[in-house]
Amino acid sequence: MSSSPNLRTNHGRQGALDALVLVVPAIPFALVFGLTVRESGLAVWLGWSSSPIMFSGAAQITLITLIGEGASLAAAASAALVVGARHLFYSFSMAPVMQRQPRWFRWVAPYMLIDQVFALCAGKRDLPPADFRHYYLAAGMTFWSFWMLFTALGLFVGPVIPTNMDISFATPVLFMGLLVTAIDGWQKALVAAFAMLVTLALVDMPSRSGLLIAVVAGIALGLLIDRVRRLW
Amino acid sequence: MVMLTIILMGVGSYVMRAIFILALSDKTFPPMALRALEYVAPAVMASLVMTMLVAPAEGSLPAMREVAGLATAAAVALLTRNHIYVLTTAMAVYWGLGYLNL
Repeated sequence: MSSSPNLRTNHGRQGALDALVLVVPAIPFALVFGLTVRESGLAVWLGWSSSPIMFSGAAQITLITLIGEGASLAAAASAALVVGARHLFYSFSMAPVMQRQPRWFRWVAPYMLIDQVFALCAGKRDLPPADFRHYYLAAGMTFWSFWMLFTALGLFVGPVIPTNMDISFATPVLFMGLLVTAIDGWQKALVAAFAMLVTLALVDMPSRSGLLIAVVAGIALGLLIDRVRRLW
Repeated sequence: MVMLTIILMGVGSYVMRAIFILALSDKTFPPMALRALEYVAPAVMASLVMTMLVAPAEGSLPAMREVAGLATAAAVALLTRNHIYVLTTAMAVYWGLGYLNL
């Protein structure tokens, strides 16, 4: 009886609480998305439908903004796909821990695998499978409910949101906290620092594609360090 | 047509998130892949943090108070491992420097 029902409930509750802390600074972003839909000239229900269908903040904003600016649908879709391509890394990173999960969860979990859920759950990979699943589902569903509600609210209150969005800085702050607690050893610290520098150097590349190169460069540096250490 | 594009994008988003989870569900990972996996989370999260700070349009360096806020977040996370402390101290530094117009 290593995982009593009581302990399981706690992992679910913990996942929801951790997600809530990340939800608050994302509120301006969700409202801005609603505003983007209004300015695009699309029917509001049509623009909002991308929230449940795609569930992907930055890629949704890219898609709707470009459509609103009159870009071709193919161009808007390809830019949004490039913005969303970092999810390939999340999928790869989560693959081993998902092997210990039931089949239904492997099909459901990817739908919720957004930045915040990945950041929270990457540090929970050592939990027993059932606890990991409850944590993941609670975090994912909390964020999903919030995104559906606030992107809809943004359709109507969008024009009155304050321009001062200082609260949004809490998102990189919390991601930085999650990053630091995920680092065990100087190799990973170097990898993270290198990925940041490469991102900064490539910031002008279109559709955030610099991020993809930075991640590959970071992983390559990590593998190189491993190789050099084994030679010594 | 826009509806169709959104649906196709939904399929695309799901496929990108699902592909390795589903395709590798019964594969044994070679040691090299397992080591690479270890570096995915730090590399992506570091890159995301930077992406959130610098927008291509508005100059390519983060503001002083953003750097100070993030450095505080990193230091407090390292010392306390408590995300509430991270949030409160880093936001205090960020807002405080903003108040002083730095």
